[in-house]
Amino acid sequence: MINETELIEQLKQGDETAFKTIVEQWKDMVYNTILGIAQNETEAEDLAQDVFIKVFEKINTFKGDSKFSTWLYRIATTTALDHLRSKKRKKRFGFLQSLGGDGDEKESIPDFHHPGVSLDNKERAAVLFKAIESLPDNQKTAYTLHKLEGLSYRDVSEVLKTTVSAVESLMSRANQNLRKQLEEYYNKNYR
Amino acid sequence: MQCLDGTKRAEANPFLFTRIKARMAKKDGGWERTFSFISRPAIAMAIVLLVMAVNGWALLGRSGSTDNAIGDTENVSELANEYNVVASVDNYDYENLTNE
Repeated sequence: MINETELIEQLKQGDETAFKTIVEQWKDMVYNTILGIAQNETEAEDLAQDVFIKVFEKINTFKGDSKFSTWLYRIATTTALDHLRSKKRKKRFGFLQSLGGDGDEKESIPDFHHPGVSLDNKERAAVLFKAIESLPDNQKTAYTLHKLEGLSYRDVSEVLKTTVSAVESLMSRANQNLRKQLEEYYNKNYR
Repeated sequence: MQCLDGTKRAEANPFLFTRIKARMAKKDGGWERTFSFISRPAIAMAIVLLVMAVNGWALLGRSGSTDNAIGDTENVSELANEYNVVASVDNYDYENLTNE
């Protein structure tokens, strides 16, 4: 089996087989990360395609200072967050249009069900994902990478280009925010 | 809060690579490249300025040639006479002629 460094060198020379190997090897990792942030399967697939196209186009900028997977996580999380920002902008524009009387009725967003969540946890996970959606970008990224991708705080800190203690702080704030939102949700719906 | 523990990794479409290749081929296509080139702000602005300059030049060029307008009309009527293009016969005249 060909090693990672050789694979990257081959990709830098535009080798299609190397590109295919990279896609096949890392596609689930990229897709799962994006899915956790974007919370939409169709959009996540399109974004995963975008990520690999970026990898193909920008591979020459990869200097090997970090692990290839770290670089890939960075591209995946940035692409997903950029997508969410542009979606939010469009939503805001839609809202302004609806104030002007041109817009359609407010669209209701369906609950997101992650395909990897067990059936027992399905409903609770959907509520949690809704809460994750409202976290600030860096907390959302850290939480997704740690919880869904199983990365250690050290690995998360490398992806986010920060320190381990900063990631600990991000995770602690994310947990506090989520707890607060879940409490509000259960008080509102079950009391 | 613990319900995401033990979540399995979601699997990507098995045909992801084929789709990526298709997207890349489309991106490399002529039209896509042309549109992305034209839609660059600098290029788009240059095209708009060029169109405005051509329009301005055309307008200025026309206003400068008003002295020749009378001469042009004479030339046109001479040409019309030469080719027997008589504008006075229209449908109404034709009907009057047939009634007589």
